[in-house]
Amino acid sequence: MFAKIGLGLLCGIVLGFVLQRGRFCVVSAYRDVILVKDNRMFIAVLIAIAVQSIGVYALAGLGLIQLTDVPFTWLGAIVGGFVFGWGIVLAGGCATGTWYRAGEGLLGSWIALFAYMLGTVATKSGVLKPAHDALTRHKGGDAFIYTTLGISPWVLILLFAALVSLIVWRHLRQPALVVPTLKPRKSGLAHLLFEKRWHPFVTALLVGIIAIAAWPMSEATGRMFGLGITTPSGNLLRYITTGDATYLDWAVFLVLGIALGSYIAAKGSGEFRWRLPDVKTIRHNFVGGLLMGFGASIAGGCTIGNGLVNTSLFTWQGWVATLFIIAGTWSATYVVIMRGRRKETAGAAPGQTAPLSM
Amino acid sequence: MKKHLQVIGMVCPFPLVEAEQAMRELSPGQELVIDFDCTQATESLPRWAVKHGHQVVSFEQTGDAQWQITIRKGAAG
Repeated sequence: MFAKIGLGLLCGIVLGFVLQRGRFCVVSAYRDVILVKDNRMFIAVLIAIAVQSIGVYALAGLGLIQLTDVPFTWLGAIVGGFVFGWGIVLAGGCATGTWYRAGEGLLGSWIALFAYMLGTVATKSGVLKPAHDALTRHKGGDAFIYTTLGISPWVLILLFAALVSLIVWRHLRQPALVVPTLKPRKSGLAHLLFEKRWHPFVTALLVGIIAIAAWPMSEATGRMFGLGITTPSGNLLRYITTGDATYLDWAVFLVLGIALGSYIAAKGSGEFRWRLPDVKTIRHNFVGGLLMGFGASIAGGCTIGNGLVNTSLFTWQGWVATLFIIAGTWSATYVVIMRGRRKETAGAAPGQTAPLSM
Repeated sequence: MKKHLQVIGMVCPFPLVEAEQAMRELSPGQELVIDFDCTQATESLPRWAVKHGHQVVSFEQTGDAQWQITIRKGAAG
């Protein structure tokens, strides 16, 4: 139990800290590609996948960790991924995003988080379990893409790493935008940790390294997987409501650590405050959280479990689910954000703007 | 003329969505003052402004998790 608590919290706190300071958010990475035509964060996510895949297969090759098969339940990956994509747009954050925004004091994220846990438990073992079983009944053949192709995993890893390097190189070659920053009030290490704006690519590199380190830490406690958010979020609610300590695994402490690490980062940077959104956002957050829990449980993972970890393992489940999470995110962004905005413009609603006399 | 946009309590991407909309109603040279408290917008708002040829006149933290940015509309935007 001590190793679970210690290693889980340690990994979570570091991850939560990095996510908060780096503003690393997978939903905005997907969303901003179509909403503001900015793919910088999307590239950052690709970096985190590439780094993790190299590290994880290196550790597995050295016999230091064990990789388990991830079954390919294609219908679940498609439907669950799509529903999850809608959920994260409405909830205003992906699985880790919601946890770290909760740590920043956003009460809307606490609501989304509660709904996410509830949706997860309801789908995995509750009233929605029949839907879960029906959607995950059909299993595809191979777990890993390279098994189907009959090649070594390293072929895919190196091809992917080369592709990502090319994209990064092309991106960095463009003249950098000079974006004004806040006046620094801190110096030295405090400035670096609690003030400086982190480049998303640096953050992605750190996230990739933490995702690698998660594997041996988690496996040391008997949990044979890397980072995961959905199942432990559900397990936390199960533990709270049943008191059954068997639900408390490494990953439950990981998610608690994310909120704690983010709180430390936000508090230290003067970015923590309890904040309450408007009624419409709260409604969206709650519904979004439920969809996230349902979708991730059907798809066998969220933007981390599938989008970051299963993709780096080159499993069919990870890539198919991630493609459909992206499809869900884009369609929800279009319907909820972009079309809603156009309607408002057409109706010439004054919105929340008020001219100030000068 | 200065226009004031109050997006306290709004989470990303809505501060940016609102800023875009408000900016459309301004003419080049006019300023938009935005009060916001979404942490991620400390990154996305100035970046969006510069990318669209606007000028960030001032950007400061006004309190715990609260910021104010003033953006002058550029000729192209």
